[in-house]
Amino acid sequence: MGASDLARLQFAATTGIHWLFVILTMGLIPLVAIMHTRAALTRDPGTRAVWERMTRFWGQLYLINYAVGIVTGLVMEFQFGLSWSGLSRFAGNVFGAPLALETLIAFFAESTFLGMWIFGWGRLPRALHVALIWLVGLTAYISAYWILIANGFMQNPVGYEMRGGEARLSDFWALATNPSALLALAHITLAALLTGGVFVAGISAWHFARRTADVRVFRNSLRLGLLFAAPAGWFVVTVGNLQWPLLGRTQPMKLAALEGAGTEGLQAMFTKQHGAGNYTPSHDWLRGSMDVMVNIANPLSIVLIVAFVLLWKDWLVRFRPVAYLMTALIPFPFIASVGGWVFRETGRWPWVVYGKLTVEEALSKVSSTSLAVSCAVFIALFVALAVTNWTLIARFARRGPDGAHLGAVEPLPEHLPQGAPGSGSQGREDKEAVPSF
Amino acid sequence: MTTLESVWLAVLGLLLAGYFVLGGYDYGVQMLHHRLGREESGRRAAISAMGPFFLGNEVWLVAFTGVLFGAFPHLEGSLLSGLYPLIVAILVGLVVGNTAVQLRGRARGERSRRVWDMLTVVGGGLPALCWGLVLGLLLHGVPRRADGTFHVGPAEVFAPFTLLCGVGAALLFAAHGAAFLALRSEGGLAERARAAALRLLGAFAVAGLLAVLLSVAGAGASVTNPVAAAAVTAVLALALAAAWRSLAAGRAGRAFAATCLAAALPVLLVGAGHYPYLLASSAGHGLTVSRSAADGATLKLLLAFGVVLIPLILLYQAWSWWMFRGRTGRRHPAYF
Ligand code: HDD
Ligand code: HEM
Ligand code: HEM
Repeated sequence: MGASDLARLQFAATTGIHWLFVILTMGLIPLVAIMHTRAALTRDPGTRAVWERMTRFWGQLYLINYAVGIVTGLVMEFQFGLSWSGLSRFAGNVFGAPLALETLIAFFAESTFLGMWIFGWGRLPRALHVALIWLVGLTAYISAYWILIANGFMQNPVGYEMRGGEARLSDFWALATNPSALLALAHITLAALLTGGVFVAGISAWHFARRTADVRVFRNSLRLGLLFAAPAGWFVVTVGNLQWPLLGRTQPMKLAALEGAGTEGLQAMFTKQHGAGNYTPSHDWLRGSMDVMVNIANPLSIVLIVAFVLLWKDWLVRFRPVAYLMTALIPFPFIASVGGWVFRETGRWPWVVYGKLTVEEALSKVSSTSLAVSCAVFIALFVALAVTNWTLIARFARRGPDGAHLGAVEPLPEHLPQGAPGSGSQGREDKEAVPSF
Repeated sequence: MTTLESVWLAVLGLLLAGYFVLGGYDYGVQMLHHRLGREESGRRAAISAMGPFFLGNEVWLVAFTGVLFGAFPHLEGSLLSGLYPLIVAILVGLVVGNTAVQLRGRARGERSRRVWDMLTVVGGGLPALCWGLVLGLLLHGVPRRADGTFHVGPAEVFAPFTLLCGVGAALLFAAHGAAFLALRSEGGLAERARAAALRLLGAFAVAGLLAVLLSVAGAGASVTNPVAAAAVTAVLALALAAAWRSLAAGRAGRAFAATCLAAALPVLLVGAGHYPYLLASSAGHGLTVSRSAADGATLKLLLAFGVVLIPLILLYQAWSWWMFRGRTGRRHPAYF
């Protein structure tokens, strides 16, 4: 493999894995926020305890996943400078702005508020604590918006002019409303909600199949999960199909290569404009990845609507095989969405910025050996992280709400020596008095 | 250099300095938690001390990289790809350490906890060491080629001055983390942290002195503004002395303020020492601020967001520090 293949492999594998965590983050966060809000708004202590247990249980699964999402994202942030410095030289003036804004607008707030939410149980006023998780959710979606603005510029460059061999920002509004980014944002939002909903419903159904004692926790979760997953599954297909006309306008070569017809004319046109070279992306990759997405999407959306109807009187979880089927659905949205990204990104080849900058031009002057080493290191590390992440998620999902550490105050009263402050029954205040220096 | 460029240069410096101060004590705590904590409850207390701030601290680095790309695209491309092996090492350390801190609480049983603890320590030490190496290389000047790219190899990284900077940064961050623990934890842990901070400050002073001697002898930093560099170094020495005295007198708050200053100053040292270059070659020339900055239109756009966002960020981060002030101990939500 040459340097450019290694750099592409490194980027594709690392974003692909990052994406597997991000999609679950984006799918779970609205559900956790809704659960926390319900817990805060409910007056009846029994019902409140149920929603609070749900918040801690799903919140902890969210956090385990988030930890790995952050560290993989951290690596992503450096990759442009490491391997694709040609991209920053050519398009840094335009492409860098959304990334800078993403970090300043979204990541700062997301991390700060999430830290406060994790450690705020019993310490922050309840309304503020709930507001924090909504802010975390909002900033996650804002960060997805800005990263898609950057990616949308690569798919369909707008809002710039060429001066001195460099792209310069000329129309920020056009950049920020790039249809290629906005449609993708709608499609991935729905994909994420589908993923989160199926995840929650699948794990809840598993607990029913195992005859859980926590019936209320898992019934609420199952309903909430399907309430999100069923409509999202339907609309993700609709929005997916809305992308065809746009692709026809912005990237005719992608569609031609997908169909395997009509590429010669476009190849000749690109050759005339940009000189000799291969401008036709791989038909097999495009066909294969599109088939993965579509062949999962269509049956899944139908199964989810049937499942939603079967929620009536808990029919869905009365028969174990049906309940286990719900659990077995969990991986499919992840697989479909990786298919979608492979389609979107390989179909852009050989361009990094469509029609403007090729992969070869964008590559840093880094030796193949360095790239081979870092590629192997990052991929091994990320795979290890993914395995750790999913093992932990599976373990804590199986343990159920009793295994949730989130929100526990340590040391627990029974571990304190007799008579120590906080060991008695007086520690029931909603808000802890804060000791000062 | 236009005013706009200097504003963004200042923001970039602020973000990097903020990362060194905040991420710095995280790395220090990570390196020391195993030793100072003695047994699991103490180790957990050490990690809990930084718990509420941990995610908000690391994001300063993310923001630094984002602004580096947005406002100084030409610097980003040559800096990161030139320092490739070191950046990869830093990232590996960060990935490992960040995951370990966040997931060690989920460990089941003694063995897996030991593994997470080891990864926590490595994940603090490796980035600290490598950031020191990066600073050392930048101070010394990098071997830039005619087309502006450069590469560091073993010959540059294993030079005595660079290695001293690496060890120095690890010692400084460890001392800073110990000062943080002395301030924020309780009982025996705080006392042990105070003693460790004193020892680590002493060791850092020795490494720093050697680095200065090497530079005077011509085998170390080669800066364009020796006077500014000397002034920053003097302030650094004063900060260390203040930290030492405050710790000896048991004033943990002051000591931590002084180590915060000491952790931020290396950024100023590189910036002021090489001004007007952002990336100097050993020969004394280099990439100037203007050549590395983005186009005026982009900077103006970023500024329109920045004037609102940066004060807001400082405000809500300060608010989160205030909400979680005080010593950690009993009745604290613990998660990590
Ligand atoms: C759960 C995940 C999921 C599901 C069920 C679907 N998609 Fe999708 N699709 C994605 C997840 C996804 C994605 C990962 O979110 C992508 C990658 C980039 C993007 O914007 O969304 C994507 C991209 C993507 C693209 C590429 C756009 C481009 O190249 O610019 C097209 C044309 C479609 N999708 C079309 C569909 C169709 C016709 C579907 C159903 C029949 C469908 N998707 C279901
Ligand atoms: C998170 C979901 C994403 C996935 C799974 C993904 C996947 C891929 C794949 C498969 C490639 C290789 C293309 C090829 O070999 O032809 C690639 C390349 C690349 N992607 Fe993405 N991508 C994602 C998001 C993004 C985003 C949001 C950006 C920019 C902001 C981006 C920027 C790039 C760049 C710079 C390359 C290298 C150049 C190239 O090969 O075209 N990607 N990605
Ligand atoms: C479509 C693709 C992407 C989406 C939707 C996305 C979105 C997100 C979200 C929601 C997070 C929050 C953490 C988490 O989810 O676990 C995150 C983390 C992160 N992402 Fe991505 N991301 C994408 C691809 C990328 C790319 C290509 C980069 C590189 C610039 C990147 C950089 C980061 C960074 C640095 C973090 C960590 C932020 C922190 O420390 O808080 N992401 N991403």
